[in-house]
Amino acid sequence: MPLRQTTIQRAERSFILWMLAPATILMLSLTLVPFLVSVYLSFTDYSLTAPETINWVGLKNYSDLLSSADFWDAARITTIFTIVAVGIETVLGVGIAALLHHEVRQAPWLRVIYLLPMAITPIAATFTFRLMFNPTQGVLNHLLGLAGVSPSAWTAAPETALLSLILVDVWQWTPFILLIVMGGMAALPPEPEEASQMDGAGPFRTFFLVTLPRLKPYLALALLFRLIDAFKTFDIIFVLTGGGPGVATRTLNLLAYKYGIEFLSMGYASALAIVMLVFTLVAGQVFLRRLGLFDLKD
Amino acid sequence: MKVFTSVWLRRLILYVFAVWCIFPLYWIFLTALKTPIQAMARPPLFLFEPTFANFAKVVGNPDIWAYFASSTIVAAGSSLLTLALGAPAAYILARYSFRGRGDFGFWLLSSRMTPPVAMLIPFFVLYYQLGLLDTHLGLILAHVTLNLSIVVWLLRGFFSELPREIEEAASLDGDNHFQVFARITLPLAMPGLISVGILIFLLSWNEFLFALVLGDSAVRTVPVGLYGFIGYQTIAWAELSASASLLIIPVILFILVFQRHLIRGLTMGAYR
Repeated sequence: MPLRQTTIQRAERSFILWMLAPATILMLSLTLVPFLVSVYLSFTDYSLTAPETINWVGLKNYSDLLSSADFWDAARITTIFTIVAVGIETVLGVGIAALLHHEVRQAPWLRVIYLLPMAITPIAATFTFRLMFNPTQGVLNHLLGLAGVSPSAWTAAPETALLSLILVDVWQWTPFILLIVMGGMAALPPEPEEASQMDGAGPFRTFFLVTLPRLKPYLALALLFRLIDAFKTFDIIFVLTGGGPGVATRTLNLLAYKYGIEFLSMGYASALAIVMLVFTLVAGQVFLRRLGLFDLKD
Repeated sequence: MKVFTSVWLRRLILYVFAVWCIFPLYWIFLTALKTPIQAMARPPLFLFEPTFANFAKVVGNPDIWAYFASSTIVAAGSSLLTLALGAPAAYILARYSFRGRGDFGFWLLSSRMTPPVAMLIPFFVLYYQLGLLDTHLGLILAHVTLNLSIVVWLLRGFFSELPREIEEAASLDGDNHFQVFARITLPLAMPGLISVGILIFLLSWNEFLFALVLGDSAVRTVPVGLYGFIGYQTIAWAELSASASLLIIPVILFILVFQRHLIRGLTMGAYR
């Protein structure tokens, strides 16, 4: 019955098209069009301080950017922030998940508390960290003092500013890794752990040799999301340090914000945005292919 | 064995971590209950007679209620629109195979990888030309763009776990694809849609950068309003904390009420 077959196929094809169309049209108009605008702007000297003139400057923005110390400084700061913050979050998150897994039935409210840092409005959390970081009246130096640790300048000094921001990111996002790993552990059947314990392996050995490898897919995905988001971090840096003191915490994101939104030089800022976009897309693709995750292909 | 399974040590670590998670929120509420002088005390005060004067003062500020109104419009509008656009696409990705499916999925996901400024600058230029700056619609569309990929990603997983049998039975009864989706699948998927909608509402409510740049005086959301307070009065800690507390109380209630949905939404994407 080839004729009937094609009618069914045709009905199915039009169904697929109609269902995908709304999302596709919106994403095309709101991501692809802006993207093309960005690419175009990045080859011009367009600035909103003089919106009536727009001149084609070729690759000048890109060559200026790649030869500027500001860019490489920002790239270095972004890399340190991303890797150190996500590294600490992973170690803490996995560690606490391992402990919490056995405990969660007794204390389900712990999960709610752990949810708060990542769900609360980040600007509000950032504001309270600003109070706590205050070098003279802040509560953190007071508590450190009680423990006999000498006070820190926190966000006020270039040496400690980036670490302070990492601390806030760790506070905010460790629970994310924690919840994902915990969910993963709950979804895994317990038999391999039980077998390993019966064979006389201690809990540490069991965790690292049996549980952790089985958690890899969950952890990989959590890491991917965290790396992307940490690379994109804006709120806490903008509010706590604005990229300072000096340029000590000026990440690529803040640099692009400064050129684009503060100086209104859209051409140059677009070039920077395109460089960041290409970097994330390439890194994201490599990460995805490597892990064979997100395999939507049939 | 002894160390790792020692219940008390384990609990101690978990409670210490819980205190660490909750301390900044505790501190902001505590500061809000101090007099301006107590708030600046050295060393910082933990025990004192609380005052509600700061709250009484900021509650009368009409700006705060305007921020709530803007945030509610933007978060409700964008979460509903994101669901309406995302659910059909997610269903197709979960149930049908077609040429270019993987690329389509990656393309949607790539918008999540895009650094916000890479989207913000063209948005700003386009909105400037189209007159969409400082409008609710403009911010709603921007938030839909930010969150659509998350919705598709989460719901795709949810749809693929629904049993096919009921849908198949309905299509044998003569329902076409659209009828099956609207009458059978959507009602079955309601719990998932609600969870994801709640998550998107919160993400949109909390979003700062786009709201800061694309909004201005007519559309100022809670995070942007809060940022304005911080910028203007750096000294008035007690009063600022009261404003900040007032602005996050609804969020905390929201989190407590919908914690199950949020945990599911925030972590659901990882279990595929």
